[in-house]
Amino acid sequence: MEATREIYWNVTHSVAIPMYILALIAISVMVYGFYKRIKLYKSGRPLNRTDNIFARVIYFLKNFILQLKVIRVVKPGVPHALFFWGFALLFIGTVLVFIQADFTDPLFHIKFLKGPFYKGFSLVLDIAGITAIVMMIGLFFRRFFYKPEGLDTIKDDYIMHLLIFAILITGFLIEGARMAVTELNTNVSLSYYSPVGLIVAKILSPMGTRWILTFHKVIWWIHFLFAATFIASIPFIKFRHIFTTSANYLFADRRPKGMIDLIDMEDEKIESFGVSKVEDFTWKDIFDADACTRCKRCQDVCPAYNTDKPLSPMKVILQIGEAAFNGRESSQLIDTITKDALWACTTCRACQEICPADIEHVNKIIEMRRNLVLMEGEFPGDEVMTAANEMEVNGNPFGLGFATRGDWAADLDVTIVSENSDVDLLYFVGCYASFDKRNIEIAKSFIKICNAAGIKVGILGKEEKCCGEPLRKLGNEYLYQMLAKENIEMFKKYNVKNIVTTCPHCFNTLKKDYVDLGLEATVMPYTIFIHNLINEGKISIEKLDFECTYHDSCYVGRYNDVFKQPREIIESAGGNITEMSKHHYESFCCGAGGGWILGDEKIGEKISVKRVNMAVDTGKPALVSNCPFCLTMFEDGIKMADKEKSLKAYDLAEIVAERLK
Amino acid sequence: MKVLVCVKQVPDMESKFRIGASGVWYDETDLAYRMNEYDEYAVEEAVRLKESAPEDIDVTALSIGPERVKEVIKKSLAMGCDRGVHIKDDEYYSKCPHSIASIIYEYAKDKNFDIIFAGLQSQDRGSAEVGVFLSELMDFACVTTVVDFKVEDGKVMIKKELEGGKKIIIETSIPLVATCQSGLNIPRYPTLPNIMKAKRKELKTFDVSEYYNVSEFVKTEKAYYPEKKGGALILEGDVSELVEKVVSLVKENTGLIK
Repeated sequence: MEATREIYWNVTHSVAIPMYILALIAISVMVYGFYKRIKLYKSGRPLNRTDNIFARVIYFLKNFILQLKVIRVVKPGVPHALFFWGFALLFIGTVLVFIQADFTDPLFHIKFLKGPFYKGFSLVLDIAGITAIVMMIGLFFRRFFYKPEGLDTIKDDYIMHLLIFAILITGFLIEGARMAVTELNTNVSLSYYSPVGLIVAKILSPMGTRWILTFHKVIWWIHFLFAATFIASIPFIKFRHIFTTSANYLFADRRPKGMIDLIDMEDEKIESFGVSKVEDFTWKDIFDADACTRCKRCQDVCPAYNTDKPLSPMKVILQIGEAAFNGRESSQLIDTITKDALWACTTCRACQEICPADIEHVNKIIEMRRNLVLMEGEFPGDEVMTAANEMEVNGNPFGLGFATRGDWAADLDVTIVSENSDVDLLYFVGCYASFDKRNIEIAKSFIKICNAAGIKVGILGKEEKCCGEPLRKLGNEYLYQMLAKENIEMFKKYNVKNIVTTCPHCFNTLKKDYVDLGLEATVMPYTIFIHNLINEGKISIEKLDFECTYHDSCYVGRYNDVFKQPREIIESAGGNITEMSKHHYESFCCGAGGGWILGDEKIGEKISVKRVNMAVDTGKPALVSNCPFCLTMFEDGIKMADKEKSLKAYDLAEIVAERLK
Repeated sequence: MKVLVCVKQVPDMESKFRIGASGVWYDETDLAYRMNEYDEYAVEEAVRLKESAPEDIDVTALSIGPERVKEVIKKSLAMGCDRGVHIKDDEYYSKCPHSIASIIYEYAKDKNFDIIFAGLQSQDRGSAEVGVFLSELMDFACVTTVVDFKVEDGKVMIKKELEGGKKIIIETSIPLVATCQSGLNIPRYPTLPNIMKAKRKELKTFDVSEYYNVSEFVKTEKAYYPEKKGGALILEGDVSELVEKVVSLVKENTGLIK
């Protein structure tokens, strides 16, 4: 006997017409729901996110089908992915049934659900179904019983659990009922290819054929109605994420990480800067709110949230959605989110890195900050406003005379490019390594390394200004562009081709942000530069064993994917690294990003203290980092945490310079 | 009501100062400039006053100095002043406070100003005289070291700082000159639309020769660095003994305690 099954068994083909009418209604409701939703997305400003469509589709398929971003957090990512694959296979199975029953068979008398293919089909769907159920049970217990901190359960979650369980269970009941009457009697060997159905069939069979036939008809319709309800409900509840989250991969920001839209300062027609209401956002910013599944991964990794500050990246996204979709408090968006929440962000990008939906949190916060600074003249504190004023006058946040910027290099073998521009590379020192006593050690160490490698290194000296990074992240685009343009003018004046930085904030800004303002030089962080010098044998360092932990700075790590080189440098210097609880892409910000190097954290625990304690927990005596902001925060954090006896902070350049042969 | 704010551009006090070739003033190389701190309070107060009746009050910001001082006028306009006046004078530093006040007077005398705000003093010269001289020339009332300023029913209520941090409240009337002390207000950070708008506001430049018709009362003889006097004296011992020692030393060496 051939392995197959009769489609529309028991319910007969007569159900097809009412079934298709209802299915059409369900699909129409879904389409209508999305149509209305799309209108709301379009209330945002235009933005092109369909360029480079081939690469977008590849990226979409990779993340949608393989669930790569979802499984990055194993629990509950893997159960979600397994459920997704199971449910997707069931969907494909249903489509195949539809194709055969109402297309290839009636029109061309072609039946493909038979023989070995049917056996495989049957087995795969049974495994898919039971996997989906088991995963859902796990997810159900997680959500309602072992609820992790911060997980927010809403009405949608109840409906979704109910519908999914109902569809999956009724599906097996239909299969079991059919098998109890057919395969169990006529083709037992085939029933082994539907193991779950077989168990259900065995349970049902004592009920007798007549009862089972009626039961089957009833359950068949219930199953169908649940499925139709599921389809119709998609745009109206969190089920929409099936479409919106996956579409968000298609519309992802494909620019280098951390690019921020440039404001055209010459355009006198612009009357409002930044975002104060939903309509000031782009359509993608509004769409992001619909792509959010409230998985709260962003909140879990947020340094501000984890130190009791009033910021949850997830909440910001949801509040934007609330204003966009419910028209609630659109004009008071910033008041709803609260200024304190917007200011609390360190732009560390941990939220975006972990987000399985590719939501762009940081730039939204920066856009709202732009409104606060450029339209209201507000800052997170008076000390930040003072620093901004000092930047305007002296090009550094300390208010120290601009002419003393190069003083640290007075006795060193460094060329001031205004005196002689014939250098191998330009070292962009940055404010902290230029002026701050502790951080000058980084600049001096870097020069020592260059000298040892026989590299002719130049600096701009008093002609260098702050790169503008803290200001830009605070939303002060005007002052940022002013400083950036002055720096770029200097680079052009001295025909600078190669720039090396010891500050990741300078690096990221020069490498990415300055490109929009016309910088063409190559920019390299000293982490990679020193790594190259070691690999090329230009410097040799003595291996002196030491124990340490290593902190990935946000702007060299997460923003620029440099993780391997600094660790290899430490190892070649004899360092044995014990990683902290959070490292690499999940590294925990030191607290200085987003302009906070200029401010005093007044709310909650100090981020630097929290990070220092993570370093202390490794039990190692040294905390090595690669950023003057981090070093500053750690020096302070160690004092505030009262850990001066157990931990010392070093910069990577110091470790290398000390061991130069 | 017409309001005049006198603003001066001064070097940032953290700059590297060197005495210039003339020997009477500092050399300008390597200096960063900003608005005199006390003048920022003056601008802020004038703008706050304007905001109380935007239609009725017109604020003019005036600065004397070389081309670069336009920056502080622009900042005043960005903070909210209505128009700017630049009296171009490359030799501003050779003029005594009375001359500076006279120049302002010659400009202002026929313009019907009701209130003139000025900084208490400049951060570089620190004479604290220009506002006072100006009030005399204008025949206006004058209140110095203003830390609170209110106009109520034609009366002007001013809180003024006295020596030792004490304060008194003064009632006066328009017209008047007020010189502003720190604590009066927190100067605003100009918003970007206001910076843009400031570019389109009126900024007239006049040559100082049009208004300079007095002779110098005071002439700077020589500028020099403070002399380095003997080293510090380190006292050691019990705290109560130390207090006695300090008191007697201060009595012997200064006129601070009698």
